[in-house]
Amino acid sequence: MEITVKIFRYNPETDTRGNYVTYKIEGDENDRVLDVLEYIKGMRDGTLAFRRSCAHGVCGSDAMRINGRNMLACKTLVRDVGANITVEPILGLRIVNDLIVDMEPFFDNYKKMLPYFINESPLPEDGRERLQTVEDRARFDETTKCILCACCTTSCPSYWANGEYYGPAAIVTAHRFIFDSRDEAADERLQILAETDGVARCHTAYNCTEACPREIKVTKAIGEVKMAMMTGKV
Amino acid sequence: MGLKRDVSLSVGLRYKGPSGYLTYILHRIGGLGMAIFISVHILSAFLGGKTGVYLNGIYENWAFQIFIFFCVLFHAINGLRITILDLFPKLLEHQTEAIWLEWAEFIPLFGVAAYVISSAGLGA
Repeated sequence: MEITVKIFRYNPETDTRGNYVTYKIEGDENDRVLDVLEYIKGMRDGTLAFRRSCAHGVCGSDAMRINGRNMLACKTLVRDVGANITVEPILGLRIVNDLIVDMEPFFDNYKKMLPYFINESPLPEDGRERLQTVEDRARFDETTKCILCACCTTSCPSYWANGEYYGPAAIVTAHRFIFDSRDEAADERLQILAETDGVARCHTAYNCTEACPREIKVTKAIGEVKMAMMTGKV
Repeated sequence: MGLKRDVSLSVGLRYKGPSGYLTYILHRIGGLGMAIFISVHILSAFLGGKTGVYLNGIYENWAFQIFIFFCVLFHAINGLRITILDLFPKLLEHQTEAIWLEWAEFIPLFGVAAYVISSAGLGA
């Protein structure tokens, strides 16, 4: 089948603004959009720039807007989006080159959530694991799946309007630690999220949940954090 | 180097979000519509005279009233949905169903009101 791919191009050395270039290639409906981009880069235009690493939906490198919606190119089949494909960079982050965006502001927000286990209490007597029940583990199981691809954050209209907003991915990370019964810094994280650029900026547009390639219920996680903030109970 | 972060209104509106995004946009239009309505009302009372009569004519127009009813009703029902889901985060798993329920309430209520207002307006 013939696939028509319209790709956003931007060369920082020669362009002052982005433009779209259309490529027509032969492909299969079972090809992934990443395969299509690889083909174009390999056979048509070697200057095409995009991120990819594992190519199996685990590293989260190849988040992009495909037909107007955030997706991972490696998890999206041509048959799911049709033979006319438009590929653009994710929104709300500075475009560095073609489909590559500057992820630094995204990771800066992530780091603000203290994304690591904090427990100053002495180890258990046997000196080994800090145990928790299956139920306690289940409370944050879903938010451990985040791969930091930025699909959620860059689909959020609140984040588009204000880049200072921590964004859904950072809040999901905070959720993972706040609701971990072994962690002792939930209050500290809740205080960070209570700031002006915290959870109050979430207006439940629900784009994040739909965009998440790991099917994390992002809006629900944000809702749980909001409730923990209001009640003071984790 | 690089293109600076800039998400214009038109780019944002072109994002193909799910049904929740549509309600998000309509909620803002509703809020804006109500702000316009109240502003016109206040201006009309404040300015008076011919300008006041002209402004009265705007918000008394049946088409404008249908628009305002849309804004108020949608803003109210959608606001209620958001409040309920915020208070009971577990229900957010059923966000899509909540939006369908919202439309199921909004469409008949708005339809009847729009019919009544437009019938009165066209009959006058």
